[in-house]
Amino acid sequence: MDSDEEDYVFFGTPIEREEEITNRRKKAAAEASGNLRALPPWKQEVRDEEGRRRFHGAFTGGFSAGYFNTVGTKEGWAPQSFTSSRKNRAEVKQQSIFNFLDEDEKAELEGTLGTSSQFDTFGFTAAEHARKQADKEQKQRPSAIPGPIPDELVLPASESIGVKLLLKMGWRHGRAINDSRASSLYDARREARKALLAFASEDAKAPCPADEPVEEPESFTVQPSDDDARSSQSLPAFVCNPKQDLHGLGYDPFKHAPEFREKKRLHLLNDKQRGDRKTMSIKDSLFGSKSGKAAPGFGIGALEEYDAEDEDIYAAGYDFEETCIEDDEEPSRLGIESKQPSRLSIESKQKVVARDQGVLPGFKVASVSDYQLERFDPPVIPKDFAPHHKFPGPLETLKKLDVPSPPEVPPPDDSNLKLLIEGVAKLVARCGKLFEDLSRKKNQSNPLFSFLSGGNGHDYYERRLWEEHQKFGVQAKLLLDGKLSPSMQKMTAESRGKLLGEKPLERSSRETTSSSVASGEFQLQFNLSDTFKKPDSFSKLPEVAKPFKDDPAKQERFEQFLKEKYEGGLRSTGYTVASNMSEAARAREKLDFEAAAEAIEKGKRGKESMVSTQPLDFLASGMQFTSGGLEQVENGHAEDLVTKKMYPRREEFQWRPAPVLCKRFDLIDPFMGKPPPAPRARSKIDSLLFIPDSVKVAKPEEVAITNRDVPAAQTGAQMTIEDVAEEEIEIVAENVERPVDLYKAIFSDDSDDDVEDLNTKKVEDPEKKTEVATTALNRLIADDFLESLGKELGFEVPPDTPYSTNKANALRIETPNSDSGNAKFSTGTYLNPGNETAQDGDSQKNKSIPVRSGGYNSSKHTVGLLNMSGKVNEDKFAQEDKKVKSPSSRQRNWSSSSSSDDERSRKHSKRHRHRSSGSYSDPSSDDREHYRSRSKGKRERSSREKSSHSRKHSKHHKHRSRDSPSRSHRGSEREHSEGRKEKRKRRD
Amino acid sequence: MSSSELPRKEANVLKGHEGAVLAARFNSDGNYCLSCGKDRTIRLWNPHRGIHIKTYKSHGREVRDVHVTPDNSKLCSCGGDRQIFYWDVSTGRVIRKFRGHDGEVNAVKFNEYASVVVSAGYDRSLRAWDCRSHSTEPIQIIDSFLDTVMSVCLTKTEIIGGSVDGTVRTFDIRIGREISDDLGQPVNCISMSNDGNCILASCLDSSIRLLDRSTGELLQEYKGHACKSYKMDCCLTNSDAHVIGGSEDGSIFFWDLVDASVVSKFRAHSSVVTSVSYHPKDNCMITSSVDGSVRVWKT
Repeated sequence: MDSDEEDYVFFGTPIEREEEITNRRKKAAAEASGNLRALPPWKQEVRDEEGRRRFHGAFTGGFSAGYFNTVGTKEGWAPQSFTSSRKNRAEVKQQSIFNFLDEDEKAELEGTLGTSSQFDTFGFTAAEHARKQADKEQKQRPSAIPGPIPDELVLPASESIGVKLLLKMGWRHGRAINDSRASSLYDARREARKALLAFASEDAKAPCPADEPVEEPESFTVQPSDDDARSSQSLPAFVCNPKQDLHGLGYDPFKHAPEFREKKRLHLLNDKQRGDRKTMSIKDSLFGSKSGKAAPGFGIGALEEYDAEDEDIYAAGYDFEETCIEDDEEPSRLGIESKQPSRLSIESKQKVVARDQGVLPGFKVASVSDYQLERFDPPVIPKDFAPHHKFPGPLETLKKLDVPSPPEVPPPDDSNLKLLIEGVAKLVARCGKLFEDLSRKKNQSNPLFSFLSGGNGHDYYERRLWEEHQKFGVQAKLLLDGKLSPSMQKMTAESRGKLLGEKPLERSSRETTSSSVASGEFQLQFNLSDTFKKPDSFSKLPEVAKPFKDDPAKQERFEQFLKEKYEGGLRSTGYTVASNMSEAARAREKLDFEAAAEAIEKGKRGKESMVSTQPLDFLASGMQFTSGGLEQVENGHAEDLVTKKMYPRREEFQWRPAPVLCKRFDLIDPFMGKPPPAPRARSKIDSLLFIPDSVKVAKPEEVAITNRDVPAAQTGAQMTIEDVAEEEIEIVAENVERPVDLYKAIFSDDSDDDVEDLNTKKVEDPEKKTEVATTALNRLIADDFLESLGKELGFEVPPDTPYSTNKANALRIETPNSDSGNAKFSTGTYLNPGNETAQDGDSQKNKSIPVRSGGYNSSKHTVGLLNMSGKVNEDKFAQEDKKVKSPSSRQRNWSSSSSSDDERSRKHSKRHRHRSSGSYSDPSSDDREHYRSRSKGKRERSSREKSSHSRKHSKHHKHRSRDSPSRSHRGSEREHSEGRKEKRKRRD
Repeated sequence: MSSSELPRKEANVLKGHEGAVLAARFNSDGNYCLSCGKDRTIRLWNPHRGIHIKTYKSHGREVRDVHVTPDNSKLCSCGGDRQIFYWDVSTGRVIRKFRGHDGEVNAVKFNEYASVVVSAGYDRSLRAWDCRSHSTEPIQIIDSFLDTVMSVCLTKTEIIGGSVDGTVRTFDIRIGREISDDLGQPVNCISMSNDGNCILASCLDSSIRLLDRSTGELLQEYKGHACKSYKMDCCLTNSDAHVIGGSEDGSIFFWDLVDASVVSKFRAHSSVVTSVSYHPKDNCMITSSVDGSVRVWKT
């Protein structure tokens, strides 16, 4: 059977036979012994003692249960018969949980012990206590009808008649109204068990009913149906809570957030304590965003949460949050203000209360209201107001001031009389009119005093008197002024200066430079010192002695400096002359000044001694520092300008638009024909190589332009058959090489480093370079020698890997094709690294060289090899060698120059290099190999537009090759190659 | 155009938006205008007659910018729901939604052929979306910005974006170059001059800067208004003689293009002026504000 099963294919499940059953039984026994144990749990099968599967899947019978997978019993399943007669009524069957319990479960239930609340006096008292508390609380609560009136008017009956009756019937407070007798019919044990059962089953649903009224005053506890068990339970006290909120009936905002209920309760409590009603803005807690600033009116979906971005940055007119903020602010504000028991705080408090009292919840006080109390500010008391009145001296004298002046009269001829008149006038002026009257009365008879009464000299007297009054009045007024307003000095600096006869300061009309404040200050000081000192020597400096005359501001500063140096007088304390100058610039300038001053001094002395009017020779030397100083000043300015001019700053980057984008914009893709940018960080090396490219910025525009021109030229020129042929190989090559590439990428081997060294560090360390070269040479020489030997003998040396044969064949195919392009490209200028067509031409030429030289079978076409073979067979192919060498060396030079764009070639020819290196069974390529691979790579690049080369990178490299080091690089490369050649010669 | 011809008289008030209006734009011929706002709607108006024509509702959050194709057949809009909606104007249906921005989208523009929508987002990127294909993937992501891109402008060959990182970056598709002009101040809004030679960049230091596009030179600065925290538009008049900018106090400023003097200034709105748009031919201007109104101004 078993062997048969090997040969046949069975469909369906075989019908089990009797023997199989026995078989199975045996099998089951065997498996049970331990065979099955080894299986994982999900593969084990549960079998009964018969060896049948106990459990099946859904479609194979399901769980085997009952009597042979039936719901019946051994006797079969029979429905309960319903019989009812007049005598024997069918009793309504009370179903209890026990109807559905198994025996063992029943046993379990009955075995447990527990307490019954009936016998729990503490529980009962606790319930009673709770009820009383609830009552008390209810009393505290505001009644359903708001306001204080009903409490006073309606006096509740202490005990309703119903309660009284019940009490008479044996009911006690907190007890359920039940027929307690009925329960006594049952035996205690059963009752207790039942009660326990009920508790057990309803554990979660009815948590400790006694506490319920207190905890959840708003909810009604539903009386459980199994009555007798609850007979001991206290009747829940219903607490009527007046509806105070604005929610819909039955809506509980805190249904799922009971913690907020507590918060609200506290809040309300606080409000009550404070005595003013507050509206709790639930919106804040429930819907408010984190910042409490959501756009009004446009809530987001119920399922979405408010985010930072949903904040209403445009603070809208209607502000819900206002009230909440006030709520929050209130306590703190009050707290602060209560600490300072000043009139102000009371006022503000009143204001706050006033503001809040008039406001209905949900409204806010209008910021601009039509009705406004008009307020008048109290009159402003002048600062100098003195509460005591002071009479300002004799009034009449002051009054007299207003009297129009009598005409000027010549004094009387009599000098005695004149003196007398003057004296009397002075006295009168000082002592008042009273004195005049007195003296007039006294000297009525005296003719000398006739001027008093209109006699001789009266006119003069009048005049004198007026003059004296005038004089006196002015003095008095001055005194008064000084007394009354000390701040208002009549004597200003100017007037004092005038008194003292000083030269008044004049605002300099000279042009003030940018820093007007500083220069103004400076001017003032300058003038001041001018007034005190007369620096005639310097102010009258001859034109030649003004070394900074092209910069008037500086000249001024210089003069100031001289003054400070040689003269006394006022000094500007902090040298604040040019505050707009930097510290360094100032120091430099000071040095300049120092030098200039010295030169002037010298010149002066010279002038004094020689008394010659020859122009100062310091000018020659002085020009130096002046110019230097000027320059520095300009530098300073330039710095300022630079900081100012830093923006806008322009930078340029490479950016690659997507082809589709170009298409949609109806533009030609500037990167058309370029391969897509390499995916980021494909390998370690790539990422390393890419970074500098992407970081590199600010390429000259022309690069872009030339680049832009290139594709057009390129696309047409370079699709030769040869390229196609090579592409085919390329595909093969890729498949072969991947692992090697990856390997190299991971373990960045020394070959890469070598290449890098060769190309970047050549100039710096020729030692290393030559070393690398020699080692590389050593490695390759054997192969090349063999090959060239083979050529010499006229047959091909089979390459060591099958892959390279493939390649060699392909190359052999290629070469004739490349001839076609030869004529065109051989004229290409090889020195232009920016022109790719030229490059390609060169590479083409390079390839075509063997054909032209004719001496070589074109199995290998690369320059390095070519040269090598040429060297090896030097004596034999002397002619050809020369012929070849000149172009090849040229070629080498070129290629070495182009090798400065090592990254490109390395990156893109890495694959090729590796391939070629594979063919030479030497994974670490030397630079010659590199040449080959590069040239090959170049060719490939030119041919396969959509291969791994991106224009971007080539551009970068081109650009780099244009940079200054490229030339020296090229030269060194040439030297290097020459040296290598020599070395090789020596070896040979 | 002399300063007397500046549109200073209120011709119409377009009311209907609830809450802030975030942008108001003329269509290409200036006969209609579109506005969008906090109430998640885009509204099409005839500003000259003051009629509300249509409302486009589909955005999930506020709509920040809207643009209409030159042939008036399609709309694109963007907003806080991080999507770009591509609408059919006549039916009012959403043709396509472009998802991909990782943040709110601040600005959106059609290109000349209405084949590409370029959007500027909070995710520091400019994204170009193809309206022709059914793909909802962006055809180009420009992520060289260092901060939120606030505004975008398109020419025939370039994409120009202004960003909070202080740069105005020009992406030239023809030559594949990115030119970055760093202004040193967060750029709020950029707007092209009508001759295409200059860029007007409204910066958050309360100044509007005029840049020469070819050289990157700062030609002029316009100051006097307040622009410190809101995204507010600026634009040039259709003759390029004046610069128009809104202010956070609700005023509109007109500057002389050349000497940067405030030619005119008046209070147009009670709150922040979010957007200004100038008629392509006539002396007419629409302004929108946080106060929920769009106002039409004429001479």
